[in-house]
Amino acid sequence: MLALSGIRKTFNPGTVNEVRALQGVDLTIEPGSFVIVLGMNGSGKSTLLNAVAGSFYVDEGSIRLANHDVTKWPEHKRAKLIGRVFQNPFSGTAPTMSIAENFALASRRGHARGLGWALSPHLMKPLRERIATLKMGLEGRLDNAIGSLSGGQRQALTLLMATWLKPELLLLDEHTAALDPKSADQVIQLSDEVIQRDKLTTLMVTHSMQQAVSLGDRIIMMHRGRVLHDIRGAEKKRLRPEDLLDRFDEVRRRELLDESAAAMLNELYI
Amino acid sequence: MTLLIGALIIGLILSLLALGVLVSFRIFSMPDITTDGSITLGASIAAILLVKGVNPIFATAAGALGGAAAGAVTGILHTKFKINSLLAGILVMTALYSVNLHVMGRSNVPLMQATTVASYGEKLGEWLAGGKTIHIFGWPVGAADAAVLFLALLFTSAAGAAMFAFFRTQLGTAMRATGDNPQMIRALGANVELNIILGLALSNGFVALAGALLAQYQGFADAQMGIGMVVWGLASVIIGEALTGTRSLGLTIVGTIMGSVLFRLLVAIALRWGLNPNDLKLITALFVFAALVLPGFLDRFKPRPTSAT
Repeated sequence: MLALSGIRKTFNPGTVNEVRALQGVDLTIEPGSFVIVLGMNGSGKSTLLNAVAGSFYVDEGSIRLANHDVTKWPEHKRAKLIGRVFQNPFSGTAPTMSIAENFALASRRGHARGLGWALSPHLMKPLRERIATLKMGLEGRLDNAIGSLSGGQRQALTLLMATWLKPELLLLDEHTAALDPKSADQVIQLSDEVIQRDKLTTLMVTHSMQQAVSLGDRIIMMHRGRVLHDIRGAEKKRLRPEDLLDRFDEVRRRELLDESAAAMLNELYI
Repeated sequence: MTLLIGALIIGLILSLLALGVLVSFRIFSMPDITTDGSITLGASIAAILLVKGVNPIFATAAGALGGAAAGAVTGILHTKFKINSLLAGILVMTALYSVNLHVMGRSNVPLMQATTVASYGEKLGEWLAGGKTIHIFGWPVGAADAAVLFLALLFTSAAGAAMFAFFRTQLGTAMRATGDNPQMIRALGANVELNIILGLALSNGFVALAGALLAQYQGFADAQMGIGMVVWGLASVIIGEALTGTRSLGLTIVGTIMGSVLFRLLVAIALRWGLNPNDLKLITALFVFAALVLPGFLDRFKPRPTSAT
């Protein structure tokens, strides 16, 4: 279970570049829940994921994950509990190392790394079988450098790596946004498969309305560093892409209102 | 023949330096100038212990450990204090100059009287050959020199194999990934900062080991002996990559050792042909410059496949 309470984060405080990225996020995610995070650019959705992953420490609030208070844990320590796939397909793999070595690294996530051989025989057999299920023809190329593969292949492998040891929480940060439509579909299908099979607690950021309505059991819509809508249960099941677009329109009107209200206040009082 | 053997031995000893530079420069993508100081540190520590009559093996190991400590300091400056890696190396290298003078107590320590690993090798050779000279392919060769060369070859091969093995362990692969993609390995739970500190310690440990052995072979340690050594290491790494390619780690390590030996041989031949020794560093620097720039420069003249329209 993931529990966020009162999360605030401001970047570059006190400067012209000040960004109040998260302004009090409270969120509880039950074990096994698959949550889609939506929002316009700059709404704080990626910042939310990075705050959970520990890319930075939050200014206020606490983060609890699987009965640990991880608020002060550094990123590499939180990795014991968290599997991640990034937006950039190049971010999740070590390009000059082989496919097998990348998985060997993933198979030690959260464990001490000692002087034992990285490529142990009891890793290779399940690895070959698992990669064969991708049907990408990669099971015969385990010794090839992962940098020689396409973005879609790398993203599929990153997903398998992130879930090789079952994580308490899986973070997917627009992980298909940089792929061509066909690869994106493959990776989304694979993600859904893995998440359903292992009942993974998942937070997935996306811009695709289609993915938002067809996947997951809960939608969170972020706006200006806060959770604006929280759609779950039967309402989530009934949801159509048009409904989501309506909600986005509402957000957009709110933005306009904010601006015009500011202009009006300006005129009246200054 | 003696000249050739001397060049081969020094090339093999300096291949340990080149392996150290391979770790910092290629695996961590961090040209580490600590090298210039840590090779002298290794030589200084070993020399001063040898003069005091310490066992040569212990003295050599102590020199290597000293270098590893210096590398760890550079790593800490870079990761914990967020100093640019190049500047961190420059700071430690500069500080080491004073440290080395303090270790030696003067700027040069001769080792002619001391028992060194080189004198072990020489004794072994004369005992095995039962005389002062042996014949290899009909050439008269000092048995002592031949034994030292053989030991240098054996030791360097073992060191290269150990490095290869290390970089295939769980810790070693995590270190390679740290240089390759720090974001990825952090997300997989490795402590990137610690890995960089350990990696620079390993790199400078190899460098200082080269320094300790070089001092014993040439018979002295000198405060100036480290100047330009990082560029020498880079040259060896680059020649090695030209020889064996970079497809696999094992080939790269073998190439680096070969590169160091070949480079030393070329230098010995050039000096023999009358190259002014004062020009040596200039030529080494020009060579590395050319090796870094030429591939990109040549690419511009390669005919490109035109895209189908």
